[in-house]
Amino acid sequence: MKPVDLARKLRREAAFDPAALERGKAVLMAAIRQAVEPRRRPTVVPQVPYADIRAALAFLERAFGFREISTARFVSADGELLHATVEVGDSLIGVGGQGHHGAISPLSGGAESQFISVQVDDIDAHYQRAVAAGARIANELRDHSWGERTYWALDLEGHRWRFGQQMGEVPR
Amino acid sequence: MSSPSDADVIRRSLGVPEAFGMIYDRHAATLLRFLGRRAGARVAEGLLGDLFRIAFERRTTFDPSRASALPWLYGIGGNLLAKHRRAEARWLRAGARVAAGEATDGRVSAAALDARLLFPRVADAIEALPDDEREALLLFAWEELSYQSMADALQVPIGTVRSRLNRARARLRELIEPNGKDKVKAR
Repeated sequence: MKPVDLARKLRREAAFDPAALERGKAVLMAAIRQAVEPRRRPTVVPQVPYADIRAALAFLERAFGFREISTARFVSADGELLHATVEVGDSLIGVGGQGHHGAISPLSGGAESQFISVQVDDIDAHYQRAVAAGARIANELRDHSWGERTYWALDLEGHRWRFGQQMGEVPR
Repeated sequence: MSSPSDADVIRRSLGVPEAFGMIYDRHAATLLRFLGRRAGARVAEGLLGDLFRIAFERRTTFDPSRASALPWLYGIGGNLLAKHRRAEARWLRAGARVAAGEATDGRVSAAALDARLLFPRVADAIEALPDDEREALLLFAWEELSYQSMADALQVPIGTVRSRLNRARARLRELIEPNGKDKVKAR
């Protein structure tokens, strides 16, 4: 048998998930959408100060699922990370060094003067993830009379975060 | 009215990006099977969306004198597979076992035994080819592309395609039959 015919004998078809074509198309169409409408900038962007930006970024991703936009880093000439931006749903949060712009971390300030409230899709899974990552739970998961389920957590440096999910209709 | 060629669609997608979706609808199934034959379903399914996303981002590099985008897409797919050589090797060896099983089909004849030994050696031989020769051989033997399409996919002249294919054939012959004798016959 000739080499090419022998090679042909090893040709083997794979068995695909019926949804594979659909998923591939979703990837393409998402890329196309991004090309068509560049990222919208939210009107308000909270800026949260930390003593250790890198540790904060790692924790925020691990515990809360906030993903850093890697192209949005500000690094000083000597390599110090000055500021980063994370994506949370359709919002952005700035993660910066403390002391700049007059804002300090609760780690050195001793108290938080604000908290940030974040709506999530699956509050129970979010809670589990935060606990697994070692977030300190300030208020346990609970259901409220207005139909929201929430929990509160403190991050590495003591910033307070409120996570909520609207579970059903809002009662009138 | 005939439908627009791939080149027409891609030209249109420069102004109206959504139009590129039609390139996907036309060729995604073919490319998915190609990737699957090379590296199995899991890798193929993971690469399919990336392949077309990359094609979309590079659509200005498509040669508009080519009516079909298929060879160009094969080229992008081949480059993506380069990062999955281990999955490819596993899939190829599994293919060799299937081929050997089919050839022997439970029989214990001398020919059946030969086949059992032969196909894993073919897989090893294909594995051992230099990347550019293996790519040419598999586009030819498995995808049945024309020389012109292979040249478009690999972005080399037709003469280079022919010589890569010839070198691949010679090397396979050598690797499969180290002492040059045709002592192993497959059926």
